[in-house]
Amino acid sequence: MSHLKNRSNSVKDLFLDKFNNKLVLILSSVFSIFMGLTVSGLLMLFLNQNPVEAYKLIIEFAFIDSYNIANIFAKSTPLILTALAFGFAFKAKLFNIGAQGQFYIGVLAAVFVSLKLGWMPPFFVLSLSLAASFAAAGIWASFIGYFKAYFNANEFLVSMMSTYVAVAIMDYLLRGPLQESKGEYPQTDLIPNTAKIPTFINGTQFHYGFFAAVGAALIIYYILWHTRLGFHIRAVGQNRNAAEFSGINEKKIFIIVFLICGGLAGIAGFMQVNGINHMAVQGFEADIGAAGIGVAILGNANPIGIVFAALLFSTLEVGGLMLTQTSSLPSSIIGIMQGSVVIFVVISYFINNKFNILKRKRKLINNGEEI
Amino acid sequence: MKYLDNVFIEMENINKVFPGTVANDDISIKVKKGEVISLLGENGAGKTTLMKILYGMYKADRGEIKIDGKKVNINSPQKAKKLGIGMIHQHFTLVPVHTVLENVLLQLNESYAPKYVENKIKEIGNKYELVVDPSALINELPVGFQQRVEIIKALLGNSKLLIMDEPTAVLTPQETEKLFKFINEFKSEGNSVIFITHKLNEVMEISDRIIVLRDGKKVGSINKKDADREKLTQMMIGREFDFEVKKNEATIGKKIIEVDNVSIVGETGNQILNNISLNISAGEIFGVAGVSGNGQEELADAIAGLKKISNGDIRLMGKSIVNLNIREIINSGVGYIPADRHKVGLVLEMTVEENLILKSTYGQKYFNKYKLLKSKKLKIDTEKKINKFNIKVSTSKALVHSLSGGNQQKVVVAREVTLGDKLLIASQPTRGLDFGAAAYVKRTLEKEKSKGKAILLISNELSEIMELSDKIGVIYEGEILDIFDRNEADLKKIGLLMTGVRGESFEK
Repeated sequence: MSHLKNRSNSVKDLFLDKFNNKLVLILSSVFSIFMGLTVSGLLMLFLNQNPVEAYKLIIEFAFIDSYNIANIFAKSTPLILTALAFGFAFKAKLFNIGAQGQFYIGVLAAVFVSLKLGWMPPFFVLSLSLAASFAAAGIWASFIGYFKAYFNANEFLVSMMSTYVAVAIMDYLLRGPLQESKGEYPQTDLIPNTAKIPTFINGTQFHYGFFAAVGAALIIYYILWHTRLGFHIRAVGQNRNAAEFSGINEKKIFIIVFLICGGLAGIAGFMQVNGINHMAVQGFEADIGAAGIGVAILGNANPIGIVFAALLFSTLEVGGLMLTQTSSLPSSIIGIMQGSVVIFVVISYFINNKFNILKRKRKLINNGEEI
Repeated sequence: MKYLDNVFIEMENINKVFPGTVANDDISIKVKKGEVISLLGENGAGKTTLMKILYGMYKADRGEIKIDGKKVNINSPQKAKKLGIGMIHQHFTLVPVHTVLENVLLQLNESYAPKYVENKIKEIGNKYELVVDPSALINELPVGFQQRVEIIKALLGNSKLLIMDEPTAVLTPQETEKLFKFINEFKSEGNSVIFITHKLNEVMEISDRIIVLRDGKKVGSINKKDADREKLTQMMIGREFDFEVKKNEATIGKKIIEVDNVSIVGETGNQILNNISLNISAGEIFGVAGVSGNGQEELADAIAGLKKISNGDIRLMGKSIVNLNIREIINSGVGYIPADRHKVGLVLEMTVEENLILKSTYGQKYFNKYKLLKSKKLKIDTEKKINKFNIKVSTSKALVHSLSGGNQQKVVVAREVTLGDKLLIASQPTRGLDFGAAAYVKRTLEKEKSKGKAILLISNELSEIMELSDKIGVIYEGEILDIFDRNEADLKKIGLLMTGVRGESFEK
């Protein structure tokens, strides 16, 4: 009898052990996506739509022609960046909810440089615009880290509220100094051609910025796992006490992390201004920050995961947009799909976590401490 | 039968496991009506966990609770209150910006007219001498009064059993006296009190019966009339005081560390360290004996720069290190094996190699001038350390939480021994380890001593202190009461000093 019991325990342990590796993370993400789409499919039933048909159409529409396929990449570009802006901070157990505001600061910096320095050769305008959007939004966000480090301010709240300030600054500038020369709408003039990011596929919005965004994800990955800064960020994120005990200056880490996160969200602004809209419009892309959080969660805050998650969200977006245009489904169904996927990802984190705790408990009860 | 009739609460075979520790291992206790029970044990013995289970804040993994002989399921503090159990937490659960009355109203399950409750507060205050102004703001009240509010809260809920978690830790002696007066009054009405503490003099003063916990297990239950300090200390610390003391002549070198009149004053003005002075020379182990929670951790933290001292000086090789930051102290050759390896010693979700260089990330040892990781060097060095310190691990890239406790501790030891080439602080270095791993750690300390390092050893295990130290200092309530050479150490004397009995009372 006891033999049997041991056997079932070891099978169970083996099963639980499996829950630890990366494969499980990927599998549970895929499962969460499946569950999220199933649940939003059930909602479609209430709207008298056939979900299977709807999903088929989304895929069909998303890949119907090169324009739509290109659009997936175009849409994922800023998403990757705002998701990194959340995910990178998350690695240090910091919550950057202010990517939206940081995005706007980046937009303003990029459009300002592009308008004023448009006479320069394209390479210089683009480089300066990119640098300005990174720097402006980075400095903007580093204040969140500063307040956290020196006044123990809650970074969640400060970053969230900072978005409102950024929106107000944008409103002012787009109705004042940066407003179009016609003076009619709260938007800027079109930026000169020299300041536009060249397209990768002509006649589409797929511009070279996508590769820069993927490059940013790779750089962030490299920083996290191969540099001293990344080492410190992970140490502070996973055990603040141990980091302090080891002489790591967490105040500095808070500020640097927010500087980089803000910079990333700022570059997203550069991508939209110089790559897609070619101007700044009051309150445009109003949910790019929130969408970034969802993408980061789906990607488990892993830079590479974020790239794939952003592509998935963009596919739903592109295919879903055409679906809602051609059927009676409301456009909010896209948000519902994305939202329920994220909810299931969070649930799967929770379950994974419970399993891990259970596993450690079992180990302790069964074996006790061993050398 | 009469005895059974008198039992109010029974906890039977309570088990609670947290990841990393068994907090309660098959503990059974009984509380009779009209009885004050002291739950005695060192920090981390499982006292608070057990009481949080009784109060419905934690769920036991196994075991059951009976009230008046009937099995009950206490799944929340609300339920506990309904059953007549009240708890005064160590850290008060009051809203600082609200008034006394508002705080009391907040926790009542039913709604009462404020005026009625206000009168109740006054009534209880007069009856038990717990007078407090209902309209006073909590954050303007002294700590002793805040505690009164907590007690009043519990009494208004008609508690028949009060659990008090280290209630005297924040009180002045006068306030403590008042508290004890209240406990006696409360008891005389047929109510019960469970008093959690690690202070022996209070135990002897207030309790009828004493239950001792150690390492999550119940060691025993003893009536006060059969108990004395010595016996209780033995139960609490777990060893009889009669093991052989090795005599070994140390070759003492020059002074490495001098702690000079160091004091630390806590936030509420309480004295955490009180004028501590000690020296440790090269090739010497200085053992700090004491019941845990008497300032040992703070002393170690102060030397390592983790805690600011209020007074005094600490010198390493003759130079003051008081104003250096943590990193500078690490770099000047101080290694520190902390008491809690999970909380401060390791980053469990990082790999073995990353944990080994946690304190060596500055400078160019493992990161080049562009601050990029030298992964090849790290791998080679890690494998060397894994061999040298006999760490059992499949790969240097294994996450530390997948290692057994003994091997986790070896990772910490490997790191700190390498860094601490002048001074090594070892705080509870063998806690929670099995025999083999503990022996390994002890051998390592002796080896490092023979290399000419100064070692500060802090341990709750008196046997460990006696086995390893060349000098022994006894700490009690933040004060080093006496320092002995090992050769002249008198175990009985040390045991009594640990419980706060000072020199002059030996003669009696």
